Amino acid sequence: MATLSSSSAHCPSYAYHRLSSSSSNGQHQRVGFTSSLPQRAKISLQCLKNSHQNVVLMQDGPVATTATPLGNETPFKESKGGLLSGTSLEECKDAVGFDNNENEPSVSITVVGASGDLAKKKIFPALFALYYEDCLPKHFTIYGYARSKMTDAELRTMMFVVYLDEVPMFIHGENCDEKMEQFLKRCFYHSGQYDSEENFAELDRKLKKHEGGRVSNRLFYLSIPPNIFIDAVKCASLSASSGNGWTRVIVEKPFGRDSESSAALTKALKNYLDEDQIFRIDHYLGKELVENLSVLRFSNLIFEPLWSRQYIRNVQLIFSEDFGTEGRGGYFDNYGIIRDIMQNHLLQILALFAMETPVSLDAEDIRNEKVKVLRSMRPLQLEDMVVGQYKSHTKGGVTYPAYTDDKTVPKDSLTPTFAAAALFIDNARWDGVPFLMKAGKALHSKRAEIRVQFRHVPGNLYNRNFGTDLDRATNELVIRVQPDEAIYLKINNKIPGLGMRLDRSNLNLHYAARYSKEIPDAYERLLLDAIEGERRLFIRSDELNAAWALFTPLLKELEEKKIIPEYYPYGSRGPVGAHYLAARYKVRWGDLNVEQ
Amino acid sequence: MATHFSPCSSSIKHETQQLFSRFIFISRKCCFSSWVSQIQPRTHSRKRFQLKSSNGYPLNAVSLHASLDGKPLTKEHFGPQGKEASIPLAEFEKIESTLSITVVGASGDLAKKKIFPALFALFYEDCLPEDFSVFGYARTKLTDEELRNMISQTLTCRIDKKENCEDKMDQFLKRCFYQSGQYNSEEHFAELDSKLKEKEAGKLSNRLFYLSIPPNIFVDVVRCASLRASSANGWTRVIVEKPFGRDAESSGDLTRSFKKYLTEDQIFRIDHYLGKELVENLSVLRFSNLVFEPLWSRNYIRNVQFIFSEDFGTEGRGGYFDNYGIIRDIMQNHLLQILALFAMETPVSLDAEDIRNEKVKVLRSMKPLLLEDVIVGQYKGHSKGGKSYPAYTDDPTVPKGSLTPTFAAAALFINNARWDGVPFLMKAGKALHTKRAEIRVQFRHVPGNLFKRNFGTDLDKATNELVLRVQPDEAIYLRINNKVPGLGMRLDRSDLNLLYRARYPREIPDAYERLLLDAIEGERRLFIRSDELDAAWALFTPLLRDLEEKKIVPELYPYGSRGPVGAHYLAAKYNVRWGDLSGEDS
Repeated sequence: MATLSSSSAHCPSYAYHRLSSSSSNGQHQRVGFTSSLPQRAKISLQCLKNSHQNVVLMQDGPVATTATPLGNETPFKESKGGLLSGTSLEECKDAVGFDNNENEPSVSITVVGASGDLAKKKIFPALFALYYEDCLPKHFTIYGYARSKMTDAELRTMMFVVYLDEVPMFIHGENCDEKMEQFLKRCFYHSGQYDSEENFAELDRKLKKHEGGRVSNRLFYLSIPPNIFIDAVKCASLSASSGNGWTRVIVEKPFGRDSESSAALTKALKNYLDEDQIFRIDHYLGKELVENLSVLRFSNLIFEPLWSRQYIRNVQLIFSEDFGTEGRGGYFDNYGIIRDIMQNHLLQILALFAMETPVSLDAEDIRNEKVKVLRSMRPLQLEDMVVGQYKSHTKGGVTYPAYTDDKTVPKDSLTPTFAAAALFIDNARWDGVPFLMKAGKALHSKRAEIRVQFRHVPGNLYNRNFGTDLDRATNELVIRVQPDEAIYLKINNKIPGLGMRLDRSNLNLHYAARYSKEIPDAYERLLLDAIEGERRLFIRSDELNAAWALFTPLLKELEEKKIIPEYYPYGSRGPVGAHYLAARYKVRWGDLNVEQ
Repeated sequence: MATHFSPCSSSIKHETQQLFSRFIFISRKCCFSSWVSQIQPRTHSRKRFQLKSSNGYPLNAVSLHASLDGKPLTKEHFGPQGKEASIPLAEFEKIESTLSITVVGASGDLAKKKIFPALFALFYEDCLPEDFSVFGYARTKLTDEELRNMISQTLTCRIDKKENCEDKMDQFLKRCFYQSGQYNSEEHFAELDSKLKEKEAGKLSNRLFYLSIPPNIFVDVVRCASLRASSANGWTRVIVEKPFGRDAESSGDLTRSFKKYLTEDQIFRIDHYLGKELVENLSVLRFSNLVFEPLWSRNYIRNVQFIFSEDFGTEGRGGYFDNYGIIRDIMQNHLLQILALFAMETPVSLDAEDIRNEKVKVLRSMKPLLLEDVIVGQYKGHSKGGKSYPAYTDDPTVPKGSLTPTFAAAALFINNARWDGVPFLMKAGKALHTKRAEIRVQFRHVPGNLFKRNFGTDLDKATNELVLRVQPDEAIYLRINNKVPGLGMRLDRSDLNLLYRARYPREIPDAYERLLLDAIEGERRLFIRSDELDAAWALFTPLLRDLEEKKIVPELYPYGSRGPVGAHYLAAKYNVRWGDLSGEDS
């Protein structure tokens, strides 16, 4: 057991699980996609069997070893070793490997916009990480597609440089370099225009050559500016779709600027693709703790009873960055923080947080519940929104620039770099509970977290120990998404010693302490999901529409009335307006307490 | 001076100033409570509650109401106290009070190891009144100096405050005196009285007797002390240690004998488990956190386990134990008390009488304990790694054929609306593989769990669990299910942790300190009232009688093992799995 060190091999078990889960998807979903091939189903069955075994194993001993709950790390490590119970893992690997099958499908992943920043820094590294962990199918090919003229070798060099520069992004295991070498051999480049069907047809021919007659599944990752989305989709779907497997397209935000443009985009995409071919990625949904949110809620008895207006006083979704646009404000200025963070990332997390229990964990069931939340939301009012923009600030001899100092930003830009909003869900569960969102750039810290503040204890026997404001001594559940993933529950307890003094302590789960292994990047998870057809973490058209319907009127009003943002110094805690907004709903921002 | 009374009470210092205002409130009740002076110490204790929460918000100055004792005084109440009421209030303010603590049985082990060190710790923390003296009383002839020598061996200073330790010790020892005498001699107690008077020098005298003696001489000492050495103008209180009888009858007899000489509110029955930090914290957790109270019922809690284990046997001191056995020694008192605190309804206030009323209600709602819901065990000899550990009956002080249980497990039920059907499992044993005391609350499984596929066949093995570890290494942790980070969806059980040692590096005071201080301040919350004791005995007496009459043979288990397997079968009968033996924790 000890040899199965934590650095390796969580993925095989993963793969089996995903396969099995997607098989059940396949059964539940209507005809929809032609992708479930017979072999695949067989494999999944096999894996299911294994998975069962595995689960039982987990339950009996090893998981159990979680052990000495407190304190030293060794038992944790042991328990991790224990988690990966040996035999079942290997069996599963076999199942994924399925060596003897000549006809197994191939997957070609084409990154459109391969020379861009996102592709270099996130997509290719994520693909390599998946490869390193044996999560990619046996026959896969990676294509870079962009306008620049490049050879395969040049692409590989580029990828290798990133690999060297950003080593920390990778799992540093043994054979890392060797694996990289093998991986690069599967990477190719094709240069072409984004709107040229002919160039895509050339790509198609090259892909076919690599596929060598196998069933071909193709995944296109559009890492390109939104104005050429449609062109690329059109060309890819018309000239480079798979003949006998599936074709899926991953699209990154922005998905339009408002309801109309988003609907237009969706409509245009649907000219060429079916809903189930479109994978709208929101990489926040791939974050570990966001994934864990549903687990926390639905697999622990102690949380679900509390998950309603009866016990929850307010929920805060907080996102902050400690840097500004830093010379790349061109794109941002056209969108602003509300479109860039709130309307997608934070709203998605809110929907996941607040949704009713879905019928199952299948993608469609979860997305149905999320849409219901979004559609139950009260229209956002201008007075429930505070916008801000950072101004320059000199601290310790260093001068930090204002947003409008960014050369790519118009001097008189009113684009918000900070926003706070109070939202309400008008349904039976959440009526009257304020959901506060806050997102900003150039703030004092970098973090993303969900804070759930509970009501005060009715008729609290310990009232007098809390001073006048009972609400300041309530329980709080904090799910910190980044950095330093953690979950903690603030509770009141007695300070040890004579007398009766109360204190707030945290019941903690610090991920770094419990799981020493690096947590995979959100892109890895999402790419793998797209390859496996798991749509749970991707955004469906109706979700997107509902999200825009909520924000569009407000955004229009902001822009039409030319609301001046409240200025806040670079590196500060943001405009004080956010406090007044919170105060209006009797909320206190949890992240700006003195305690922190 | 103000600094003099820092950690435990800002109270004592302020009392004279505040007394006046208090009297407006209190005097109404003076007419039927004839012991005005007792009010005064009460006010101290209350003020301990007004301290700030550590958030840094200001003290809330309201003090808890002194509950003027729910218990009406008994007819034969204590003579001298009757006079107190006549002390004019104005005069009352001028009188300074003194406190004398007499440890009866001063040469015993408990006195040396626990009581004197606890008194010193209180002194060290400035929790004792300014004017106090400590008397040792025992049959052995000793001089004051000899007593001082004896107890100075066991005094220690807190690890976090080393300065002045020697000074403080000297000061403390100067206040310690010794009086030798027979436990049943009124004359000797009269001698003690005159010595006490000498120290008190005419001030208002409060006297606390700590009976650290075998139970068969309790009544003699109480008689002598109350007749000859009661305080004339202050309060007199007596702290009694377990055993409080062997069964309902003997306990009733004992209480009746006490009450000939003492009123209910003079008797402080100590259960030192109630003074443990995490037991104190239990009520705080329940009643000051919104997240726990909604879960605190049969709707969400599947079972509750109270576990006590020692990793040593009687080690040559089985004489006393053999007469009582583990059920009387641990279960009927410590564990049952914790159970009552755990399961009680929300009391009207935190006052002693309100809390004790609720505890009695729990005890009286309990289903009678049946023989088939109890497992008894006794440890046998065991050789491990070349070392051999003795059996219980190898102890020379234990009769060879003894059937006294050194281990017991029991399933109890509370027949009320909150707890109907929830098994409360207790387990206590000596010579087991670990030393621990903890409360484990196992929650039900999630109804319609979406993740059940990830849990294998037994959903109950993946439920939440709240663990309060009382000793060693005080901690609270809540076991939750979470996702194993990484690709895929594998679930794991992790703990939301609060390890006391990490958060509060300061030494946690010994239970005896807290309880002594409470007795001095008249805070009765952690002491056991007569009716509580009666109810506790009423629950266990029929069972104990059954066990003894039927000469139930205990299941033997090896020294240092996990106890008899019978405990597992008992748990299985009620669909419970012992949380401490699940493999996860050991």
